[in-house]
Amino acid sequence: MSHLTRTAVCIAALGAGLTCSAAAQPAAAKFTVPITYYKLPNGLKVALSHDSTAPLVVVGVYYNIGFRIEPRNRTGFAHLFEHLMFEGSKNLPKGEFDKLIEGNGGISNGSTRFDFTNYFEVVPAHVLETMLWGEADRMRNLTVTEESLKNQQGVVGNEVKVNVLNQPYGGFPWLDMPQYANKNWFNAHNFYGDLKDIEAATLADAKSFSQTYYAPNNAALALVGDFDEAQAKKWIEKYFAAIPSSKLPPQPDLSEPRQEAEQRVSKTDKLANKPALGIAYQMPPRLTPEHYAMVLLDQMLIQGDDSLLTQELVKKRGYTDSVDGGINLLGSQFNYNGPMLWIFNLIHDSSVKPDQILAAADPIIEGLSEKPVTKALLDRALVKLRSQFYQSLTQFGGFGRADLMASFALFDDNPALINSLEDNLRKVTPELALKTAKEYLRRTNRTVLVVEAGGAAKAPASTGGAK
Amino acid sequence: MRLLAAVGILAASCCAQDREAPPPLGTPKAFALPAGDTFTLKNGMKVTLAQYGSVPLVSIRADIAFGKANESADQVWLSTVTLKLMQEGTETMSAAQVANEAARMGGQLQTGPGTDQSTVSIDVLGEFAVDAVKLIADVLQHPKLPESELERVRNDALRQLAVQLATPQAQASQAFTAQMFPGHPYGRMFPTESQLKAYGIGDIRKLYAENIGAQRTHLYVVGRFDPAVRKAIEAAFEGWPAGPAVKRTPPAPVAKGQLVLLDRPDAVQSTMRIGLPISVKPGDPDYLPMQVTNTLLGGSFTSRITNNIREQKGYTYSPFSQVTNRYRTSYWQESADVTTKVTADSIHEILFEIDRLRKDPPDAKELKGVQNYMGGIFVLQNTSNQGIIGQLSFIDLHGLKDDFLKTYVQKVNAVTRQDVQRITETYLNPARMTYVVVGDKGKIEESLKPYPPK
Repeated sequence: MSHLTRTAVCIAALGAGLTCSAAAQPAAAKFTVPITYYKLPNGLKVALSHDSTAPLVVVGVYYNIGFRIEPRNRTGFAHLFEHLMFEGSKNLPKGEFDKLIEGNGGISNGSTRFDFTNYFEVVPAHVLETMLWGEADRMRNLTVTEESLKNQQGVVGNEVKVNVLNQPYGGFPWLDMPQYANKNWFNAHNFYGDLKDIEAATLADAKSFSQTYYAPNNAALALVGDFDEAQAKKWIEKYFAAIPSSKLPPQPDLSEPRQEAEQRVSKTDKLANKPALGIAYQMPPRLTPEHYAMVLLDQMLIQGDDSLLTQELVKKRGYTDSVDGGINLLGSQFNYNGPMLWIFNLIHDSSVKPDQILAAADPIIEGLSEKPVTKALLDRALVKLRSQFYQSLTQFGGFGRADLMASFALFDDNPALINSLEDNLRKVTPELALKTAKEYLRRTNRTVLVVEAGGAAKAPASTGGAK
Repeated sequence: MRLLAAVGILAASCCAQDREAPPPLGTPKAFALPAGDTFTLKNGMKVTLAQYGSVPLVSIRADIAFGKANESADQVWLSTVTLKLMQEGTETMSAAQVANEAARMGGQLQTGPGTDQSTVSIDVLGEFAVDAVKLIADVLQHPKLPESELERVRNDALRQLAVQLATPQAQASQAFTAQMFPGHPYGRMFPTESQLKAYGIGDIRKLYAENIGAQRTHLYVVGRFDPAVRKAIEAAFEGWPAGPAVKRTPPAPVAKGQLVLLDRPDAVQSTMRIGLPISVKPGDPDYLPMQVTNTLLGGSFTSRITNNIREQKGYTYSPFSQVTNRYRTSYWQESADVTTKVTADSIHEILFEIDRLRKDPPDAKELKGVQNYMGGIFVLQNTSNQGIIGQLSFIDLHGLKDDFLKTYVQKVNAVTRQDVQRITETYLNPARMTYVVVGDKGKIEESLKPYPPK
């Protein structure tokens, strides 16, 4: 997913078999991820995982600041700031870090998510020290100018235009739904940002944001790949240890009230020519037994051709060609730290009404609250997760592994959680799945978003194609 | 006032003379391409097996020499519908049984309609490799192609067609390819609704029979799997008839300077495709020099065009150029979505960068950076199961020699500054390019009069 991401070019550049996706969908494994974890005296969390499959190293620097808690009058600022992190630092003027990365055979990107902003490189193994030096330089000494701020305001404005404003279903449901479903501003504002807020950002804003959040005691560094651990530790000490920590503000109250009534909202998408429907349920708190149960319920309901709603809505009824969705559409079911939605969504024909679709889906969803799921269904959900977990570990040169390690370090102070996911998922019994479905798959716990098609299928006169 | 007061605060620590040089690089580690084992069954089906990786996953993919390229003018997307219908069960298994069986192994059986080749694939836990081979064999050889599901699959295709054609990117790509490949399937990206509505089950079964068979198939198995897979493949596929021979009909592409402006009223951006067919094919002496040139010009983040219109001007978010290699036909294009009011300015800058490279070779450092980048990407492309299949498939489609991958990095590094200038001058002539712009016509038409340049 290229949304809220510094650049989309790596998809095109890498070609077959690789994408920029950060959407790990992990479960657990017999494959144990080796993890070394420690903290520098300034608070920087460091998680290392050696793997010599390929002569590559992934460097991930994750800051514990996402769009959720960006300043209230500066929607989209966390993401704009992500772009500014590429605009130069003391020893690397604008463009030089990119040249250092690409010019040495690597790729890089950054993404802004609910609860973190990340910066990562996938580079040939012998370039590791250079990357650590460069990441430390921009953690400590970012140098943004008026000119580069203005430039990136233009780039980010164009990012919002290409992904949202000039795109049918732009922002649906990943950007829209949290705004409708949530009550707390931190969870419910426009994360991409109003264009006028993006344009109003100043260097003073950037300085204040940088000093507050971009400090070692608010960050995690993850390395995955073919490196010598003792040597890597020395370099990390050398480049990061002297960076001063900051005084972090208290975390605001992110909680959502328990939802007691179904919400129905609608919007018109003037660029879309087919209606769409999105449905969001508030999730149980992360890493609780109920959360693990929801991870499995998601698999049963919408992940894969065998899933219950795909079979019902796609195969049996033909209401749509695909039921999409999941937990945390801008990441995975584990890499966030606050209230979250489980969402499913689909595009349908105008001859089918939203209530027809709900009438078909509800007995399936509510069936899970009426009697325990079968062992076969539960086992299939587990094996799908195990397979997806392995895929996430190997994805993109090992980036998926670094993403989980850094997230578990940042949010839980324990990257080794990556190795306990399977056990925790296996503890989910049909009874727990039933109890979880009863509380969290309640109709009164959901928001239904109806997207009306406002663009009456007006493609421009075709100059080619068939007749 | 806030703006003025803030100037220089963050910049204060930045002075060139204080700059520290990056630490020296370490010693590059050796990279060995994964070893594959390729063999041919008696019926002509090719198989490649490669053990790779540390996690117990396997990717299985059948490439079929069949796709849009095999469609006649009245069959646009018939291959797409056929491949979709192949997911609707086999002679002995219902669609739901296929889906459940795939899920039991941790995977999903997918059919991927393509242009020169299409795929049937599944990624599963390594322990299930043998069962997955059996499943893919059944779907390939004995699809039910049920008439009962055709209306639903057709209706899905109609909906997807409408959704795609609402995007400016699909509109632009359709117009761009139609101009380059008139009268050829490559130029027919989308069907009309009435075409889609006319396809009957007989058309689909006929297309399948005439195009899918052992001789047209290459099966790849890459990852961690039981060596018993080889025997399982032989058992599952040796009874498949050889079927039709591979048939390919390359187009005679058209390169002529022209502007195609498609109106998208009130669009906040203009979506552009600028480019032309090029006569360089994979395996030609100019192929890798062309790749290097493209990477330097617009195909990487630090490339000239991206640096200009994104990092300097802020006109756009994700511009990129690419060379697309169809069978015996290639084309180059720059794609970008730019803010409406700078549409003509963006084209001006793109052409400025092309012209600059047509006149002067890049400096050695810039070229070296691009070569290093391509060397690094090459490693990334060859270190995942699906990436490895993608590389092997490319070699197979284009009939390249076995040493293509082995000599790739060496040949990339042999490209000279003069090669890059010569390639740009020879193949990328702005006067012969097609300029497709999808945008708010009323606001941009006047400013586009200079294009194409004479």
